[in-house]
Amino acid sequence: MICDDDEGILDLLELVLRDEGYETIPEINSLNVAQIVDREHPDLLLLDLWMPVLSGDQVLRTLRDNPATRELPVIVISASNDGRSIAMNAGATDFVSKPFDLDKLVNQVKNLINGTLD
Amino acid sequence: MDSLNKGEFKFSNDTYKQDFELLTKALDASLSGIIITDNQQPDNPIIYCNRAFEQITGYKRSEIIGHNCRFLQQEDRDQPVRSKMREAIENGSDLVVDIRNYRKDGTLFWNELYMSPIRDSKGRVNYFIGVQNDITRRKKAEDELKANQVKMERRIEERTNNLRENEEYLSSIVQTVRESLVVLSRDLNVLSVNDHFIRTFKVSREETEGKKLYDLGNGQWNIPELKKLLEQILPTNNPVTDFEVTHDFPHIGRKLMLLNAHRIELEGQYKDRILIAIEDITDRRAIEQRKDDFLSIASHELKTPLTTIKGYVQIINRLTAHYSDEKLKSAVGKTSMYVERLNNLIGELLDVSRIQAGKIELHKEPFDFDQMVREAVEGFSQGSRSYQITISGQTNSNVNGDESHITQVVTNLLSNAVKYSPDHKTIHVHLSVVSDYVKLAVTDQGVGIPRDEQNKIFDRFYRVGDIQQRFPGMGIGLYICAEIIRNHYGTLWVESEPQKGSTFSFTLPMNKSEGGTDAR
Repeated sequence: MICDDDEGILDLLELVLRDEGYETIPEINSLNVAQIVDREHPDLLLLDLWMPVLSGDQVLRTLRDNPATRELPVIVISASNDGRSIAMNAGATDFVSKPFDLDKLVNQVKNLINGTLD
Repeated sequence: MDSLNKGEFKFSNDTYKQDFELLTKALDASLSGIIITDNQQPDNPIIYCNRAFEQITGYKRSEIIGHNCRFLQQEDRDQPVRSKMREAIENGSDLVVDIRNYRKDGTLFWNELYMSPIRDSKGRVNYFIGVQNDITRRKKAEDELKANQVKMERRIEERTNNLRENEEYLSSIVQTVRESLVVLSRDLNVLSVNDHFIRTFKVSREETEGKKLYDLGNGQWNIPELKKLLEQILPTNNPVTDFEVTHDFPHIGRKLMLLNAHRIELEGQYKDRILIAIEDITDRRAIEQRKDDFLSIASHELKTPLTTIKGYVQIINRLTAHYSDEKLKSAVGKTSMYVERLNNLIGELLDVSRIQAGKIELHKEPFDFDQMVREAVEGFSQGSRSYQITISGQTNSNVNGDESHITQVVTNLLSNAVKYSPDHKTIHVHLSVVSDYVKLAVTDQGVGIPRDEQNKIFDRFYRVGDIQQRFPGMGIGLYICAEIIRNHYGTLWVESEPQKGSTFSFTLPMNKSEGGTDAR
């Protein structure tokens, strides 16, 4: 699952991950994330940090508070410089700064998904 | 002398001559000049003078006897005291006057003259006795004293005027500055405040001056931070500058004040007075904050589409991997290079704002310094193929620091070297170990930097003189570099000569746990 308030990023990530053979659920509104995660049980969440209304770290905290999603691997992606510490404090599994390198990102996704499947 | 009887001289016929001689000798031994004038004769001639009178006046007895006293005044006849003397002679009274007399050789002497009449049994004045003392020296001393006094008084007046002028001058400065000033006594009573203080804190002079600082305006100055400054910091750290106090003031609301405090240490009436200059920086700080926020948001917003562009360029790269069209490949390669450059520029803007706010975030981890430099040079060379960048030396050391930031510094120094060496295509990088520091030097043969500009180039937004026209740029790269190196406890400096080139060097402390001091 991918959540970013920027459509361009959503499209790009969908394109790349589908190419790698993953199914993707794009979501532009951070308010819907918890509900969709609950319903669809994604293997991994790519989460933007700086989003209107509900920020990525708030979404993350909600997920971490819920026993069902506490272990969900979440990669936080942000263009903000404080991003890393905010993300890690909120319980992110990994952090990627924007602009990112697609190959590296895909590797991180692979590692985390394979890790959970093992 | 047996003629002395009950305090009076008695002359007997037996001893008359002897006694008279004794008295004459006594008169001659006197240091005061003594004369007797006969007032029964016309023009009161002198009928007796002693030896001292001869010595004082320089005249011989033969030149004195028979003359009126006035010969001593020579041509100086208009002295006011003379009328007093004439009066005393007419009235037959005593008189003491200071009169200017002249010796035989014409020199002036001040004569303190005591005149005393001698009356006969019927009360008629028959004789006058004149006792003269040469008081020239005393007079001179008195005159000098008087002159000095006058001079002194004039000087005091000048000084007083000067002081008054100074005071007025200083006070006009104090009243004009756009900063609030308070003068406190040793026990923290407000002695005076300037107009700006009155205006800023919306108080009156009456309710302020003469009051205890902490009691002012319902205790609005009873601020723990201020108390700490005045009672704990100032006594041992004088003066204190740029001390920030945030406080909710009754009339003007929550303000951020910047304080400079100075305790007078000079011995004297002002010792231990405390001067406090207060600047309201609430607005300034808010504007800075807004600027930082703006830069932060702007860079975030710019990075988002850039991320997408970078991603698609990567996808295009992948899609064209098996194409053999070199032009297309080169175009895509250049696109990705310039995307990277744009990204760096945005990053720099944000860095400046963060450094300003003191919020630079470093993720320090030990890394291989030589390898980092090699990679940075290699990466940079990709985009500047017309330049030859050589590396010499090695450190064989690890550095504990934020590798990406240090890489940024190396890249920035390289790009400056290239940018300012349009005609010389060689850049040299040298690595070395100095004491327990690693050192990197980037040398170019470019346009160089004039000596007086060399320190300023590390300032924010500073661009060297006419450089702006020929080499566009924001003037923030070196500022960021210097701050990054400083935050790693190293230094960044430049040695340069115009038209010969520049060498930018930095040092960083080696990772102690590595024990790399004897590497090389």
